Amino acid sequence: MSSITLKTLPDYARHVLAAAESAAGGYHVTRKVHLPRLEMTAHMGAGVLASAVEQAFVRAPVAGPGKCSIFVADPQIEGVPAPAGWGRAFFTPHAFAGRLAEAGLRGNYFHDLDFWQFYDPQRGVGVQLMASADAFPPWEPGAPLRAFLHWEYAARGMRLAHAGTLGIDGKGILLAGSGGAGKSGTVVAGLLNGLDSVGDDYVLIGMAAAVTAYPLFATLKQDPDGFRRLGLDRRLTSYGPLNWQGKHQFHIGDIAARPMPSNLDITALVVPHISGGRISSIMPLSRKEAMIALAPSGIAQMPGERESGFRFFSDLTRLLPCYQLSLGTEPQEIAGTIADFMMRGTA
Amino acid sequence: MGHSDVYTVASSDIVFESFDGEAVVLDLSNGKYFGFSDSGSRIWEALSSGVPPVQLIGAATRVGEVTASEIGRFVAQLLEFGLLALAADAPAQMPSETLLADLARAGDPLHVEIHDDLADLILVDPIHEVEEPVGWPAVKQAT
Repeated sequence: MSSITLKTLPDYARHVLAAAESAAGGYHVTRKVHLPRLEMTAHMGAGVLASAVEQAFVRAPVAGPGKCSIFVADPQIEGVPAPAGWGRAFFTPHAFAGRLAEAGLRGNYFHDLDFWQFYDPQRGVGVQLMASADAFPPWEPGAPLRAFLHWEYAARGMRLAHAGTLGIDGKGILLAGSGGAGKSGTVVAGLLNGLDSVGDDYVLIGMAAAVTAYPLFATLKQDPDGFRRLGLDRRLTSYGPLNWQGKHQFHIGDIAARPMPSNLDITALVVPHISGGRISSIMPLSRKEAMIALAPSGIAQMPGERESGFRFFSDLTRLLPCYQLSLGTEPQEIAGTIADFMMRGTA
Repeated sequence: MGHSDVYTVASSDIVFESFDGEAVVLDLSNGKYFGFSDSGSRIWEALSSGVPPVQLIGAATRVGEVTASEIGRFVAQLLEFGLLALAADAPAQMPSETLLADLARAGDPLHVEIHDDLADLILVDPIHEVEEPVGWPAVKQAT
């Protein structure tokens, strides 16, 4: 296969999809995962990604009704071609996504590994083509197949948001902000002190009647400083090596006081920031500032669907009261402040 | 660039939404966000719908009248950011009464801020512009 260009991209995507589907008998592992309103079936070889698909997701209590099938393919599977490379033409993700969208497809390409992801939202079929079974980007096991979920849920009017959540009694807040703003530490502080969460990093948002957050991934992350500060090094009896970002990775179930709720009714959008003060406080924030905290990372970290994402997050921001959370230094105090805020009915 | 020129939104990649009178603009092609003050939002709204700057000079806001130099700087910024483009043949529009009334209630100076901390990941050509030993998404530093 020659190098791929914008012109040949849709044909290449269809070729890869057809080849991966035709090789259906060659995948050793099939995993069915019940997610909110979706049953995802992943066909793949045994190994790290199969384990990640087994462990990373939060299973929804009810299956479907939607379905999608993802083939995680590499040339060791009979009938699967070796991935092609991108040509010398200038590459921009926006043009790449636009060209595929014209053909009714979605896609993503990671240059270093010639790692391709293509999705046909009409049929609910996707392929992740890799040069070998372990030739995937280092972030993939933490939230496996998230690009496909992003495309499938976007087609259903829902959205993966790069945000954390905390809640009580079925109601909750969405925590938005770029990396380092304090989202993950706030979620862990809440969980350690009796609050619920349906996820950190990536959560699924629906806006049918109200704003609802659903869990997808069970993974939490903390850098070593935060890990020690939150007492996780003493609380968790075993934890693995640092991940590709130099962070500890663990599961919500490892620290949550209760089983994870199936969803949270989101009643406020909250933007945390590390204030340096001892005591936490929550103040109103303009919707413009909240939108700029919420949308950029959610859109930049998901391939394609950029305009629909901008519109979705705009609607979400208009539906919710917005606040800034100035974080204190003590996890228990932070969690107490958030709990008081939610129980007062402000959120 | 003159005060009588007519402008339009630079391309279909420029999308915007308004939040309680404050605009947020996203350039889809490069992932840059722009946040406008309340007066900036009203002026952006006017300029992008064909109202020439000259029609806005002297308009009242809560912090004073819009001056020629102030709006000149603002238009130059919007052109530099790639948000506006000249629309040479487009007919000039008059600002609506509603827009002028909204502008009169605006309490912040004309201002637009750029948020591009995540834009590099979108702008960069991974084949040509990354540190080769590190690879995408580590962006090659300018030397």
